[in-house]
Amino acid sequence: MLMLLGCDEGLTPRQTPTTCPPGFVGICGTVTFRGALPDSTDAVYVVAYARFPTSQADLFLFQPLPPPSLPLDSVATSGTQHYLLPLPSGSYAWVLAAWKKVGPISAANADSLLREAGYFRDPADTTRPGTVVVAGSGTDAIDFVVDFTNMHPVSYYFP
Amino acid sequence: MSVLRTAALLLLAATPLAAQRPATGTVTGTVRDSGGGAIAGAQVRRLPDGAVTLTDSDGRYRLEQVPAGSVTVHVARIGFYPQQLVVLVPAGDSVRADFRLQANPMFLPSVVVTAAKRSQLLDQAATSVALVGEQQIARRAVNTIDEAVDKAPGVQMIAGQVNVRGSSGFVEGLGSRVLLLVDGVPANQGDRGGINWDVVPVDQVARVEVVKGAGSALYGSSAFGGVVNLITRELPLGFHARLRATGGVFADPPHDVWTFRDYRGIQDGLDVAGSYGRGSVRAGLSGGARHSDGYRQQDRADHWQITARGDWRPAPATLVGFSGAWASDQYQVPEPWCVRPGQCADRGQAFQPFLIDAKDNAGNWTRSDKGYFTAQVSRTPSERNSWLVRASWLRTHFIDRYPQRQPPSDFSIANRIGAEGRLVSRPDSLHTVTVGLELTRSDDESNIFSGASILGTTHTHTEGAYAAYAEAEQVVGRLRFTVGARSDFLTVDGGGVTAFLSPRAGAVWPTASGSWRASVGRAYRTPSLAERFVTTYALGFRVIPNPALRSEDGWSAEAGRMWIASPWLRGDAAVFFTRARDLIEPVFIKDSGFIQFQNVQRAQLLGLDLSVAATPLTRRLTTTLAYQLLDARDLGSDSVLLYRPRHLLTVSADYAWRSFEGGADLRVSSAFERDPLFGDRQVPGRVLDLRAGWTEGPWAVHAKVANVLNYIYNLGPRILEPVRTATVTLTFSY
Repeated sequence: MLMLLGCDEGLTPRQTPTTCPPGFVGICGTVTFRGALPDSTDAVYVVAYARFPTSQADLFLFQPLPPPSLPLDSVATSGTQHYLLPLPSGSYAWVLAAWKKVGPISAANADSLLREAGYFRDPADTTRPGTVVVAGSGTDAIDFVVDFTNMHPVSYYFP
Repeated sequence: MSVLRTAALLLLAATPLAAQRPATGTVTGTVRDSGGGAIAGAQVRRLPDGAVTLTDSDGRYRLEQVPAGSVTVHVARIGFYPQQLVVLVPAGDSVRADFRLQANPMFLPSVVVTAAKRSQLLDQAATSVALVGEQQIARRAVNTIDEAVDKAPGVQMIAGQVNVRGSSGFVEGLGSRVLLLVDGVPANQGDRGGINWDVVPVDQVARVEVVKGAGSALYGSSAFGGVVNLITRELPLGFHARLRATGGVFADPPHDVWTFRDYRGIQDGLDVAGSYGRGSVRAGLSGGARHSDGYRQQDRADHWQITARGDWRPAPATLVGFSGAWASDQYQVPEPWCVRPGQCADRGQAFQPFLIDAKDNAGNWTRSDKGYFTAQVSRTPSERNSWLVRASWLRTHFIDRYPQRQPPSDFSIANRIGAEGRLVSRPDSLHTVTVGLELTRSDDESNIFSGASILGTTHTHTEGAYAAYAEAEQVVGRLRFTVGARSDFLTVDGGGVTAFLSPRAGAVWPTASGSWRASVGRAYRTPSLAERFVTTYALGFRVIPNPALRSEDGWSAEAGRMWIASPWLRGDAAVFFTRARDLIEPVFIKDSGFIQFQNVQRAQLLGLDLSVAATPLTRRLTTTLAYQLLDARDLGSDSVLLYRPRHLLTVSADYAWRSFEGGADLRVSSAFERDPLFGDRQVPGRVLDLRAGWTEGPWAVHAKVANVLNYIYNLGPRILEPVRTATVTLTFSY
């Protein structure tokens, strides 16, 4: 009985990480906020697309589900926020922050309620999204800027 | 010579006289339980093949004509461990031998009523049945019956949802795959299909029977994975009263950085019950209330209840009974825990499990009222036949308040009205036939289960279920065969009728040291009105209704063995298998961004269920072990079925000495494979409870420290095992 009890100490406190923790599979990084948070903000999510969405029908092909939202008090305080995004192994063409306006979302109104607020850029060509690879562990330093003064509907990027 | 002759004649004459002198004696004494109470009807036997007598109402016995010398006296009584003493019986005299028997909880009671919808001996049931007796409920000092059921072999409560052999997992209270009965009357909610464990106060429950595996052949929908029957106390003759007071304190979280309040959290409660019986009429009334500060932020809860029951025997073989209960709960909603800085005082931590995520949850609370009324007439006109008819009404009404959300509240008012007629016939000792008809009508008025496209709109939905069932048992040689089926017809909102046929077959083979059993049956569950018509807003997404949901469907089989290896070692083992399809799960629809319940999952559950009871060291020490090995797979994705621990081990020990008793329960469960909802780290469950009790006359005190080690783990997605909690319960019975 004592052996059974001594095997594990259960859930224990863990400091807020600044890099991907051991055993984590996905991406980690820091977002830097610019501009004031709009009053109509419901949440700011970080999501990843395996393929760049090219139509309205692709909008909900993101991962993970449900998408984690960024804490918004750091917009006004530190201006930066570390994030963890659990993702299965694979290649991701677009990692972005999606700003969401208050209100229930559906396919019909997604483009009016959601805005791209910033995305991870290719270090070699910062005008283009950077491809991120997850290979069974945590991929660090996927840093990007969330600019509340320069947001676009996702359809802005459709061909 | 004449002297010698005379002496020889005297010697010859004396020899038969010596042989006729008394060479036997008498053994007398008493048989009492560990609390000193007389045990009537105990069997007292001289071993190996001697005389037998029974104790009288004062526990006294008298064995006469016992051969003088060393004699073994054996005492046995159902519900107690047998005991024997070696006594030296003087010729022509008597000797006293008193016995104190230790209660044997595993075998109380040996008659079950749930597995076949009729009374039968436990070892004649074709399916596995776990029992939780009155003594186990009392010594665990619990506030709700689910806390006691949680330790039954093969049963696990996950955040208030009962899992029998891994049937349900974690389903947010919607669509339980286990049917709850109160004295045989179905009591799952009419709207959500879930279970309100506090609908019957724990003080009124005499015992619990848990039937494992598919029970649809007799009970229809919801009995997909098993049946839990709460059997309430009998009403005795004369005036009786009972008072039960509880008090307890919650420990702080095990790490200072998780501390969330600056005062000691408490819980307390009081139940009072009275009954009177005279002649053919008996009636009882009880009421109670309790309060808890909870063990997390925003976790306070208050509960009130009242119950009533009456029995009338107009004739010795006829019973007219009614029972009713009403309970009201108001509780804060503490889920889920906080991982987002800014939404709680995170103190630099990645997660704060005792704090809520304030963004969506601050101020959330629920009021839940529920009540039921049942009336029943049963009659046993002859040894061959018995019948019953019953009617029942279960009403639930909840209001969820969400100050941070629009609409700011959800509500649902549901009624479940049922009726059943049943006939049990035993034409001879080899045959038993059970037939019955059952009707159920559920309705629900709600703004969350409305099925409407506009949030907050109120609509009403109805569901009717009409069933006929039959089961026959036949004894062939030593084998006992059972075969039966139930046909259910279901209609929702007056639409088309859907039919289900659920057959089951089983066999029991008694042996000198126990019995073998095997059964196979179909299982099904119709979606609850909530799963069909839920319309709300969760995790930022619209949840839309699916009126076209189909029923879950599957087959379940088991083979088991109950054995009595010796008076000090008994056990039960079963291998079980369930294959199911069309299991209902919430699905994210990628081309619309909606969440909807759909029939998506195919699953297979394969496992071993084992329980052993032993008295290894002394008669005063009882130890039990229950272990479940479960391989639960999602066949669609070839992955592990979520929220079902692979290993589940419960070890209990109880020691009784005179009026005192002490015990411990250790529950170990392996970690969930993963948490797809939040991706949190999963750790094994390990909870040690310690308890002690004292009983003297009408008074009983039970103390328990639950989760002594203050071990914290995930009971479900971001739902915690409670912290260390000390509870004392005082009971007075008159």
